[in-house]
Amino acid sequence: MSDIRLRIGRVLEVARKELIDFVRDWRTMLAMILVPIMIFPVIFIALPLFLQSEQAEIAEHQLIVEIQIDEEVPTGLSEHLEGRNLIFSEVELVEQGTLSNNTLDAQRLKSGVEEDTLHAILRLRQTDSNASESWDYAILSDSTSELSREAKARTLEGVLAWEADVINTTLAENNLSRDEAFDPIHWDGDQNAADLASTGEKAAMGLAMFIPLVVALWTATAAIQPAIDLTAGERERGTLEALLCTPVARADLLFGKWLAVATVASVSVLGQMGGLLFAIAFLAGDAFGVPSITTTGVVLLLLSVLLFAVFVVAIELAVAVRAHSVKEAGSILGPMILLFIGPTLFAQFVNLQGIENWWFAMPVFNVTLAMREAIMGIHDPIHIVLWVTTSLSYAIVAVWWASKQFNREDLVESLS
Amino acid sequence: MRHTRVSMKPSSHPVDALLRVVGVTKTFAEVTALADVSVDFHAGEVVGLVGGNGAGKTTLLRLLCGLYRPTDGIVHGHVGEKRVEIHQMREHVGVVPEATGLYARLTAWENIRYHSRLNGIDDDMAWTRTERFAKLLNFDEDLHRSTRGFSRGMRQKTALLRAMAHGPRILLLDEPTGGLDVTSARMVRKLVRKLGDEGGTVIYSTHNLAEAQQVCDRIIIIHNGTLRADGTPSSLMKKTETDSLEEAYVALTEDVSRTGETEVEGRFSRAWRRLMTRGGEPDE
Repeated sequence: MSDIRLRIGRVLEVARKELIDFVRDWRTMLAMILVPIMIFPVIFIALPLFLQSEQAEIAEHQLIVEIQIDEEVPTGLSEHLEGRNLIFSEVELVEQGTLSNNTLDAQRLKSGVEEDTLHAILRLRQTDSNASESWDYAILSDSTSELSREAKARTLEGVLAWEADVINTTLAENNLSRDEAFDPIHWDGDQNAADLASTGEKAAMGLAMFIPLVVALWTATAAIQPAIDLTAGERERGTLEALLCTPVARADLLFGKWLAVATVASVSVLGQMGGLLFAIAFLAGDAFGVPSITTTGVVLLLLSVLLFAVFVVAIELAVAVRAHSVKEAGSILGPMILLFIGPTLFAQFVNLQGIENWWFAMPVFNVTLAMREAIMGIHDPIHIVLWVTTSLSYAIVAVWWASKQFNREDLVESLS
Repeated sequence: MRHTRVSMKPSSHPVDALLRVVGVTKTFAEVTALADVSVDFHAGEVVGLVGGNGAGKTTLLRLLCGLYRPTDGIVHGHVGEKRVEIHQMREHVGVVPEATGLYARLTAWENIRYHSRLNGIDDDMAWTRTERFAKLLNFDEDLHRSTRGFSRGMRQKTALLRAMAHGPRILLLDEPTGGLDVTSARMVRKLVRKLGDEGGTVIYSTHNLAEAQQVCDRIIIIHNGTLRADGTPSSLMKKTETDSLEEAYVALTEDVSRTGETEVEGRFSRAWRRLMTRGGEPDE
């Protein structure tokens, strides 16, 4: 018993020292704790603000559009264009063929866009029809220029608004309303009111597609740097040899290191999830709805995240132990992330309705699907038993394999 | 080629030996780092392991602290009358590897305390011992400084204090004065001699013969993985009929030193590294 206590004490001492080492490294704290916590709130605050300011900036521009037409610009159209911060000039339509053909004006428009003197060309030609009015039109623009794109968008808006007026006038002349003509069979009332799922449940469903990816990506990524630092890094710096000379069993050293990396990776990924939930609940709740997750769901989600971290960290440690240098470890662990992200991505498309039990026994898939079920409030006891036991088994096998690697005799040698 | 073996057999009274190396061969892939080496280490000795680069000194030290397992033969120790496996001796052994192996984000004392805790020693006891030896090394003022930016001498002193903090019966030092300035090297030598005079056992690898002669009670010469001589400096000179330890060493190691690394990678590691370095080493 005292032997076990001694061993546990040593494992905890190793983990404690490694955690102190992490905490004292501001780069690790920044990359592993601060960035994951802040990334989603910053994205949810900064990105909309940035997009709004960019939109406002471009909206302030007065854009120049040339209207090529054989006759007077219809009053209805000019009214719609004037309200859109456009300066337009009228010229005679020269194009005799298809209006989209840009051969005649391409060069002139291109240089106009470059010199900021012309941003788009609207071509209009009246056609024969039974409607009150009928026109062919085309808008020439340069899609690689932001201002030309914006000029096209504003012109198109004006044309479509004018078109709506023309349709309404034609329908009115025939004693029809727009709904009668275009929506004779229509939904009665609010479509959302007919959905049994609450806004929170729908938000949770959306989150279920997102969280497993975030967890897989961030856990696998977050664990790489500390896993390398504590193994290949120690080997390269020569600190491992002295450590291996202490009476601590190598398996206990590995367990201590694994505990430290798993703690850091878990804190990192939980911090990121916390940041994401905060961002959704308080910053973007109006847009997405606040997800409703049961307490059991939260507990199962946390458990699955922890088990995933345990598993991933053990594998990454084992691989990093084999490497002779930090560079070598990095070059193999970087691409290895795909082994975790690939199945996670695949698992997003697995139908949870009537899902076969064996999915919950497959590594990586099991935890990913468990996260989805936990968030969506599906608590199937068989699934839970399966993913908990298999995840634990995989984690134990991974840790055992890592400890086997840690027993290698060449561990004290490095390429440096 | 003349091989003069002054003494190659283990002691006839093995219980006296703290550490015993019996017929040990250590190979790495196809390279034999040590071949059929037998030697005893007794309590209260300061033993110098002398040899050129790649002779097998570090391999022997790593066998003595259990980092390596012998390919053939036995390495074991004695705790009292009891024979124990080498890994069971670890709490009685303090090691200063050639690379001092300090954690840069910890202070010198935190480095020492970490190892003493892993050795099962409480902080007060470790501090008492550390403070005492640190004063001898004129290092007590630097114990609470971060080791980042320490000079080679300061790192070596920290590693030495770390190895001694748990009160080991045996100290294994791999080139402890390598790269040190004259003053620091002198301090380390004085400390080692003091430990020996106080009854401690120190096994000290070096290729500095003058230093070995000055510090060590007994010298073991290793050359090309074989044990060439084992005795006091004066006995080695007498047996080789030379006037200095350097001449004795030359007489005992006349054959050409082997070149290259003695510790080569395993097949898997080599393949792994080739994969990582896209094509392997230039000399392969």
